[in-house]
Amino acid sequence: MTSPASIQTALRGEQALPLRPASQVMDLERLGALHQSRLSFMRTLVRRIMTERWQITPAVFQLDENGYGTVVYSVQAPHGLFSFVLFSDHLSPEERNDRVIATKWDLTMALVEGAVDEVYLEKLRQNVPKQEAGRVDSRVFVLSRANRSARNFDYVVDQLAQGKQPDVQKIAKVGYLYRTTAVYGSGKLGMADWEKVRSKHIDFARPFAGEMFVCLMLRNFSLIQAEHIARHRSAETFQPMAAEIKRYFGIGNSTGLGMAPYLVNHPLLINQWIEMRELALAKVRSLGYIGPKTKGLLLELIDRCENHTRETETEDEWQSNNNLTVVQDLQALKTYVEQSFSDWNDLLAWSEAHCSLQGQEMLVSIMLELYPELVDELEEFHNAEEFLDLDPLMPLQTLKSVIETRYNWALEIDFTAQGARETCWYRSEEKMEPRIGSAADLEAKDKQMALGVGYAVHKCYGLLCDYLKSHPEHTTARFMVANPKMRGIVRRIQSMNRCIYGDIQANLLDENVLPMHLLRCKLAFFGVSKFDPRSRLWVRNTMFQGAPLLDEIGQPFNDDWFMPLAPKQQGDAS
Amino acid sequence: MNISMNELNAALRRCFEATGYFVGNYEDAANMILWLEKHGLKGLEEFKRALPYIDADREKVLSSVVYEDRTSAIIDSQGRSALNCIAASVDLAHAKALENGIATITVHNCHNRKFILKALTDCGRRGISVVAYWQNGNSVVTEHTAAIKAGDRYPCYSEATTDLEMSEVDAQALTIICSSRVDLTSSLQQSKGNTQAIYLDSQQVAVNKAKTVELGIDIDPDLWAEINRLGTGILVSNSEQSRQGAGGR
Repeated sequence: MTSPASIQTALRGEQALPLRPASQVMDLERLGALHQSRLSFMRTLVRRIMTERWQITPAVFQLDENGYGTVVYSVQAPHGLFSFVLFSDHLSPEERNDRVIATKWDLTMALVEGAVDEVYLEKLRQNVPKQEAGRVDSRVFVLSRANRSARNFDYVVDQLAQGKQPDVQKIAKVGYLYRTTAVYGSGKLGMADWEKVRSKHIDFARPFAGEMFVCLMLRNFSLIQAEHIARHRSAETFQPMAAEIKRYFGIGNSTGLGMAPYLVNHPLLINQWIEMRELALAKVRSLGYIGPKTKGLLLELIDRCENHTRETETEDEWQSNNNLTVVQDLQALKTYVEQSFSDWNDLLAWSEAHCSLQGQEMLVSIMLELYPELVDELEEFHNAEEFLDLDPLMPLQTLKSVIETRYNWALEIDFTAQGARETCWYRSEEKMEPRIGSAADLEAKDKQMALGVGYAVHKCYGLLCDYLKSHPEHTTARFMVANPKMRGIVRRIQSMNRCIYGDIQANLLDENVLPMHLLRCKLAFFGVSKFDPRSRLWVRNTMFQGAPLLDEIGQPFNDDWFMPLAPKQQGDAS
Repeated sequence: MNISMNELNAALRRCFEATGYFVGNYEDAANMILWLEKHGLKGLEEFKRALPYIDADREKVLSSVVYEDRTSAIIDSQGRSALNCIAASVDLAHAKALENGIATITVHNCHNRKFILKALTDCGRRGISVVAYWQNGNSVVTEHTAAIKAGDRYPCYSEATTDLEMSEVDAQALTIICSSRVDLTSSLQQSKGNTQAIYLDSQQVAVNKAKTVELGIDIDPDLWAEINRLGTGILVSNSEQSRQGAGGR
C-alpha cells in the first residue's frame, strides 16, 4: 500500500530508491521528449471512470438534423452528481479559428456541479458559447470549446450515411473529428476555484481531472454527433461506426504558448508530477520482477510503440526526423532485448548510451506500462500545496551553497553572451495572450514576465556574494529586509531546494529557446500522443485516442490503450 | 458582481506588477488582500482605502532596520504600505523567534497594517505563534490585534473604536511578537472607552473561508474595473510583429 510515508522513504534517506538525478531529468530537452504513460492524467481518469463504473447518461438531447442544439449528460460519480453541458452551433469556415483570440466555435461546453434545470440551462446558454466574453458561477468548474476538423468530419458523415466505414488509413492521418482550442478551469470566468474542486468534488480532485473529463466527453459527443447527422441524412443506408474504429478517434488539441508559463509558475506542482514519474521508474528498476512473460510483453510493447510512431504523421521536418530516430531506437532496443535483456538498470543504461532522448523516454513509459501494481497507486499523489515559503532563518552562507549546488546550471550560463537574454515573454493586450518577442522591443522587454528563473538566480547570487562580504553572519530574513527585490527568487530557491527535482534547468531567455519542449512536457503528463509541432511555439496532438468508449463503462476493462494502433480495416460494412 | 478567488488574485497581481512591485512582492500583496477578503475580513474595503496611494511607494526609499539585537528589532518602513514591506518584517520576527524562542519587532511608518494577517497565518501554518497589535486613525482612534497559535490554520482578530488620542509614536506603528516556544493569543481588553468591539475567533474565520470557497467573492464592479484597468499596464500593445510571437493559429 503506497502512503505518503512510504513515498518519502522511497525518495529520501538510506532506504531511497535509485532516482535519476535532477541534472538529467530536469533538462528541458529531455522534458520535451517525454511521452504519455500509465500515470498520465487521461489514463488515470479513464481508469477511475471504468473501475468505479460512473453512470454517464444523456439528460437532454436536442439536436437538429445538422447536429446543432443542446446536449446535457448526467454524470453520476461515487462522490457526486455532475452535468456535462454542450452547445453545438453553426460556424462558417471563415469564422473557424483555433487561436485563443477567436470569438466563436463549433462546440462550447461546461462541466457543472449537480443536475441542471431549464432555468440554469438557459443561463449557461447565454454565457457558455461566449467563453471569455461570458460569465458563469461557481457551480461550473470547467469550460471548453472545440472546432471541427472539417475535412475529417464531413468525410466520416458521408461514409456512415452511405453505410460505409471510414477508411482507417485516412483517419490515421488526423485521428479526430474535433480539436479543442482551450480548456479552462481553476476559477477562470467566475468558475469554481481549484480549492473548491479539490475539497468538494472528490471525483475530480486530481490535477486537471475535470479538464480531461470534458475532453473525453467531447470525444464521445463527436462520434455521436457524426452518427446523428449521418442517420438523418440517409436513414435507409446509414450504418453506425464500428466500435474499434470509434475507439481510434481521439480529440485534437492545439496548444500554444499559454501553457508554457504555467510550468514555470507552478514549480512545486510540476516537481511533484516528475517525482511521481521518476519514483515509478525507480520502483520498476528496483522491484520489477522479470519473469518468463515479462520479456514477451516488453517486446510486444516495443513493437506497438514502433508502429504507433510509424503511424504518427507530421509535416514538421524536425519531428519527422525525431520519429524516424525513435523507430530506429525501438528497433535497436528490440534487438538488444532479444539478445541480452535480464536487468532493468542495464537496459536503461544501454538506452542512455544508444538511443535518442525521445527513445530513452519511450523506454521509461514502456517500463511503467509493464508494472501497474508498482506504478498505479502513485496516481493518488499528484497534487501539491503550492506554498513557496521563505526560510527566514537560513544563514546566508547556506543559501549561497544551495545556489551553488542546486542551481549550478544557472551559474554556468554566461548571461552576457550574445543572445543569452534575447527572448522576452510577455502578455499581449489581445486577450492577455502570452507571446515571446525580442529584447530589442523595448515595450516587450520592459513588461516581460518573470520567467527567466536562471537569470534571476544568477543575479541573486551576485548580490548575495557582495552582501556576504559585509554581513557574513546574517540570516535570510535580514537579507530580505535589505533586498526586497530578491524576495521572489530567494523564496523560490529555498522552496525548490526542498524538492527532489526542483526547477526546470534551462535559460528561457535564450534566443534559441524552444518553448515547444515546455508544452510537450505538460502535454505528456496529460497523456496526449501524436505530437505534431506547427512551429517552435505551438503543437498539435491527439487526446484519448484508443480510450474505451462511454458505452463500454461497466463492461470488462482492459487498461491497455497505451500508444494505440490503427485497427485492421474490416472492409466496408455495406 | 461575483468573481472567483483565482480571478481576484490574478488581477491583483497584474495590478501590483504594473504598479512597480517587485517579483515576490506583487504575489505577496495580492495574497494579503485575497486572504482578508476570503476570510471575511474586508480585504477589498481595506484595499480600496490603499488604492489611491499604491503608486506612491515606487518613489519611497526601502524599509531599513534602525535597531537590532538578538530578540528584537525596530524597522522603519518609510511610509510604505504593508502590502510591500510587512512580510519581510514578519520574516525577521520569525527568524529571531526560531533562534531565541521569542522576539519582538516594532515597525514604524507603515500603512494598511491589517494586511499583516496573511503573514501571521503563514507563520502559524509553519509552527510559529505570532501576535500583532496596532492603532489606527487620527480623530477617532481604533485599535486592532490578531494572533495565531503554532500549527493553527486560522488566526483570531479583534478591533474596537477607542477614545484614545493618537500619539505621534503610535501613528502607523505596529508591534509583532513571535515565539517558537509559547503559544500567543490576543484580544482587546474590555476597557473603558472601547466601543464597537469586534472579535472574530479562528472558528468564525474558518467558516467565512468555507463560504468564500463555495460561492466566490462579491466585488463592487467599479473596483473590479479599476483593478483590471491598472493591470493593463503590464500588457504589450498588439502589432503584427507581436502576433508572430504568439503560440497558436
